[in-house]
Amino acid sequence: MKSASDVPIIQTFGLSKRYRQTTAVDEISLRVEPGQVFGFLGPNGAGKTTTIGLLLGIINPSGGRFRLFGGESAAELHAARRRIGATLEYPNFYPYLSGRDNLRIVADVKGLDSKEIDRVLDLVGLGRRAKQKFKAYSLGMKQRLALGATMLGDPELIILDEPANGLDPEGMREIREIIRGLGERGKTIFLSSHLLSEVERTCTHVAIIQHGRIVRQDSVADVTSHGVAGLRSADLAALETAVAEYPAAQWVKRRGDRVVAELDDGDLAALNEWLVGRGIHVSHLVFEARSLEDVFMEATGVADIGEPTDGSSGRDERRMGEVP
Amino acid sequence: MIAGAFRAEMWKMWKRPATWVTLGLFGLITFADLFDEFRDARKDPEDPFFLPDAWGQILGQEVLIGFIFASVLLILLVASEFSWRTARQNVIDGLSKTQWYSAKVLLLPFLVALFLALRVVVGGSFALAGTDLSAGVTLFGAAQLSALGGMFLTGVGYAGLALFAAIAIRSSGPAMAVWFAWFAFGERLLVGGLGSLFEGLRPVLRWAPITTFNRLRDYIQYDSAAFRRAAEWAAEHERPGPELEALGPAIAGSLLWIAALTLVGWLWYRKRDL
Repeated sequence: MKSASDVPIIQTFGLSKRYRQTTAVDEISLRVEPGQVFGFLGPNGAGKTTTIGLLLGIINPSGGRFRLFGGESAAELHAARRRIGATLEYPNFYPYLSGRDNLRIVADVKGLDSKEIDRVLDLVGLGRRAKQKFKAYSLGMKQRLALGATMLGDPELIILDEPANGLDPEGMREIREIIRGLGERGKTIFLSSHLLSEVERTCTHVAIIQHGRIVRQDSVADVTSHGVAGLRSADLAALETAVAEYPAAQWVKRRGDRVVAELDDGDLAALNEWLVGRGIHVSHLVFEARSLEDVFMEATGVADIGEPTDGSSGRDERRMGEVP
Repeated sequence: MIAGAFRAEMWKMWKRPATWVTLGLFGLITFADLFDEFRDARKDPEDPFFLPDAWGQILGQEVLIGFIFASVLLILLVASEFSWRTARQNVIDGLSKTQWYSAKVLLLPFLVALFLALRVVVGGSFALAGTDLSAGVTLFGAAQLSALGGMFLTGVGYAGLALFAAIAIRSSGPAMAVWFAWFAFGERLLVGGLGSLFEGLRPVLRWAPITTFNRLRDYIQYDSAAFRRAAEWAAEHERPGPELEALGPAIAGSLLWIAALTLVGWLWYRKRDL
């Protein structure tokens, strides 16, 4: 028998949402375990917000099913949603009410004590601006209030949809710190974003969605563990052709003044030996750590975003001899 | 949980400037109207303004203005929840759709009672000032209670239509425009048009919503003394006399319309994504 801590917090089975001609979410299957900081990545319009809307009960599914905290019936889902703090798309509050009054509404709905409001306001740094009307808040303050509202009642699962939208770097750092702190306290966090670096820095697990379908789902460590080989030679065209013929090469691309390839075996020495056997001598052969951005680009097929032209990759490069 | 949701509604309403603007405007209109009655009564003993006879003026046609304000306020309170996406956020925060909608439905009787109470308190105060309490008159009797009940139902009916418009249209301006158009002329045009085209439909068209609610709003139906006075006045001035409505069917019809509007509104709200 499974203990409560073994039960996935979120589990979807072929969940779909169709709008007449358009399929916004196409039979997705997600699994979020307790304590994970789960990044939900995808380009704009990929289906992130619709998926969250389905989970939160504000969008009716067209097909499939899902469980929250192991529960699936309407009553179980309603009870489960009371263990969730979430914000969707924009900070949604009453503009004529102050920050504190808005949180009071949320507390009333959740049946919470008003002391909880002060705790949360301090936590998100809005204690001094609590009496100001929401409509007078800056976007950063609105985002922080939304984050505060999700934390009211100390929910077990926090769902955040693009929480860094419109924030300056300092605001993004603050939000990141708060999310990280929540993660360290063992909260399960489901974070939707199109900011790859934010997800890479904050999340333990990730799912990538495109055109309503999940194209990759794993831990951040796993998806970035397979490095890519970077090579240079006097004749780049010949090098590219040769690497493309190498049996362990999954894909090959020209990037600036070098050729980049993903290898099944990650064995740079074997590749070098194979190239020498074909009369190609490389002047540069490195094993580059792959970023989440690489994974995202490969999974979604979105065009390469380009790299610095000064010859450096701008990434954590490790030379051949240093790779274990 | 519904109690928490309704408490939140009260808080939002209390803090919303539109609440005080509509209440203030209706208070001013009521004050101006009934102060005139009170002043005229002081000047002209032939035109008295005292309880219980003054209830006829207090609960007269001007009460409708209060119901219009109540309906407008209801549309503002409900439809703006969709524009601000707080309707969606309330559900995310833990309200079920049923609880959210129920809290809005509870606003119907509350707002109507609030505006009706304002009229009764302001008007009653003026009339009380002109009443000789030593005469031992009944200040508020069964007739007035029945009239209040009937008017309350009329107000809830108007507001029910307003709630439906707010839920279906989800935007304050257009919802107000549609509600007002239906209230002011839409229903009359439709009923008149259909009635002239299909004569057989006329008995059914008599039960269109506003027409049905309006059957309950005339004070003299509830107060036999006021009815007698109106009949005497009509005979004296050679005008058509007042007619008594069959109140039972009108109450049943109004209740059915209110139930139908809230039910269809609920089904509409539940079916659509937030």
